[in-house]
Amino acid sequence: MNSFATKFSPTDADIELRRAQEIAEEEGMSDVMWGSEAGFGNLVNGHAFNIPSVPDPSSFLRLHTDDHADPNCKIKIQHGTTTLAFRFQGGVIVAVDSRATAGSYIASGTVKKVIEINPYLLGTMAGGAADCQYWETYLGIQCRLHELRNKERISVAAASKYLSNLVYGYKGMGLSMGTMICGWDKTGPAVFYVDSDGTRLKGDLFSVGSGSTFAYGVLDQGYRWDLTDAEAQELGRRSIYAAGHRDAFSGNTCNLYHVKEDGWKFIGNYDITKMHYDGPGEVAGAPGGGYGYDVRTQGRFSALAPTVPA
Amino acid sequence: MECSFALTGKDYVLVAADTTSARSIIKMKVDEDKIKTLSPHLLMAYSGEPGDTVQFAEYIERNIRLYHIRNLYPLRPQSAASWIRRALAESLRSRQSYTVNLLVGGFDTADKTPHLYWIDYLGTMATVPFAAHGYGSYFASSLLDRYHNPDGTLEEGLDALRRAIDETAKRLVVSPGKYTVKVVDKDGVRVIDL
Amino acid sequence: MSRSYDRALTVFSPDGHLFQVEYALEAVRKGTCAVGVRGKDVVVLGVEKKSVLQLQDPRTVRKVVMLDDHVCLAFAGLTADGRVLIDKARVECQSHRLTVEDPVTVEYITRHIAGIQQRYTQSGGVRPFGISTLIVGFDPHDTQPRLYQTEPSGIYSAWKANAIGRSSKTVREFLEKNHKDDLTREESIKLTVKSLLEVVQTGAKNIEISVMESYGKVTNLDLPQIEAIVQEIEHEKEAEAERKRSRLAATAAGQAAMSSRATGTPGE
Repeated sequence: MNSFATKFSPTDADIELRRAQEIAEEEGMSDVMWGSEAGFGNLVNGHAFNIPSVPDPSSFLRLHTDDHADPNCKIKIQHGTTTLAFRFQGGVIVAVDSRATAGSYIASGTVKKVIEINPYLLGTMAGGAADCQYWETYLGIQCRLHELRNKERISVAAASKYLSNLVYGYKGMGLSMGTMICGWDKTGPAVFYVDSDGTRLKGDLFSVGSGSTFAYGVLDQGYRWDLTDAEAQELGRRSIYAAGHRDAFSGNTCNLYHVKEDGWKFIGNYDITKMHYDGPGEVAGAPGGGYGYDVRTQGRFSALAPTVPA
Repeated sequence: MECSFALTGKDYVLVAADTTSARSIIKMKVDEDKIKTLSPHLLMAYSGEPGDTVQFAEYIERNIRLYHIRNLYPLRPQSAASWIRRALAESLRSRQSYTVNLLVGGFDTADKTPHLYWIDYLGTMATVPFAAHGYGSYFASSLLDRYHNPDGTLEEGLDALRRAIDETAKRLVVSPGKYTVKVVDKDGVRVIDL
Repeated sequence: MSRSYDRALTVFSPDGHLFQVEYALEAVRKGTCAVGVRGKDVVVLGVEKKSVLQLQDPRTVRKVVMLDDHVCLAFAGLTADGRVLIDKARVECQSHRLTVEDPVTVEYITRHIAGIQQRYTQSGGVRPFGISTLIVGFDPHDTQPRLYQTEPSGIYSAWKANAIGRSSKTVREFLEKNHKDDLTREESIKLTVKSLLEVVQTGAKNIEISVMESYGKVTNLDLPQIEAIVQEIEHEKEAEAERKRSRLAATAAGQAAMSSRATGTPGE
């Protein structure tokens, strides 16, 4: 990420310093010796991963992971998902499903797709589960370091930008993530969309994943800035339900979070099938009854009522 | 699909860019500003590969600002455009290149003339009276050949721009909905409501 | 291992000193004086300006520079070293905006500058920066004025008012006596000028004043403005001296009267 800084003006003195640093490292005095890297040691001296020794690593990866191109590929990366997050008067609502699919197989129905970066920041997970988990955990480390260095919490803008710059550095190398970084900082509630293309967008409302179109359908129509907390939570739940119902690669349960000024709170886990037939249960904002079309419209028909012969 | 237009007139440059950010078939955002104000009299509209666009534009923005702080005066439009073109051309010959198309418009406060440059991701630069990128260019270039007036008033320029935008809206299947329009003249940069 | 011994210029002396760093501080003490004063919602930088030679372009000699829209820096010591450090700081300001989106805080850029200065006391093949700096400004979304100082050793600290460079000790003692919390804009400027006059004999034409009133709002006072303030201060000083003199005269007269009464002949 600091490659930008060095692009500006590497002076002779900089080169001198770098040489001095290299000497220190040669002699085993680098900073790395002084503590644990908590499993991220490979990132301490610039970002370095082992890359398969083939001419084009990213196409190699695609060849072995892309089940659209080759349904018999050996590694199937978790893809299908629905995640959403939106900003409103009372903070940020984050809602996700919990299904992990590998090809046509449901690998898990209890995945945590909201990554708790720290008490004020949440990240969502769509695309490669490993990529999201790994980099957002790494982001958590960097956010904490920022906090210690600067004596104040990192802004959501800065955190999301850090992640965006990071994944942009790997552009074209096969990372796959679509995430929303959500939180509350000095500027109030904030949501940023960050993906592995390097796109980073600030906005009020985002949904990501194979079921996002279905979620958008419900979300966009029910969204207002001045929703109450209960209404907003209900909208998040209902949108995830809609995607879980219509998208084959989303489903199982919905995890709901609410971010307010004093940090995020886990609101609950809701079974999507149950929501379909019975509704989310005794929770604030729920209208009572199931969300399912048949349940919702029971007793109503488009056909004219049969005329009873007099 | 992304579209950007720009044209010069009597002592001003107009720059317009659509405001949508799309990912596959979904509009993720409909109010994105894709025109950066690089210095008090310099505008740059950018479009192209997601990720690359913003990374490149911000990199340019910060370097132009750095130049301004270091030297107390900003780069003139021509020098800025040349530097930007070179940055693109150098990136093109690196492992990972920026796939970004640009329209750079500025008002030179030294010789009091407006300048417009068309730059594509291959590092081609052309000085032009009007310019466009994206699918909109297929409609706008002929249209502006017909209607552009190099010493037109701002109102005339806006009319020509409106024609280009309306034509694109009318004929392009995936035409963008909204545009930001900015003008730069001797007084600096302003946003214009079309 | 053996090669690192002769690499560094900055090595400890047996009694724990880094001579190069101390010599750098000496270079600072020889530099022209700079003063920073923090008021209630304003912060002022004042520097002693060397007289410009008759044929020299005064615009090319600047001791107060902007690092970014909202941060200002003055230094004392080797001007050439200052230029290098300032450029590094300016690059960092833009780099910070690029990576974190927000502008730097005053403390952040101070720490960065101090960090660079520290590195140059612990690396091979380099010498320390022969400058101290005063850094003033406002943090983004904040109304509190800030004033920091850095030294060649890499120490940095926050101040209400401080001076660096030639005779900085005298000026600091003056500031310690005269600084009050919640100074207004005019009071802050006046205190800055007044403290500089402690060491600048030649008056207004060798003083440069920059005032920052809020985020990104900086004004450099021009010569007539500074002259007016200097004059005001001189008037005050004269009036003060006048008062003192008359008070002295009064007491002298009183004493004379007393003594004449004491020695006066009785029965007069």
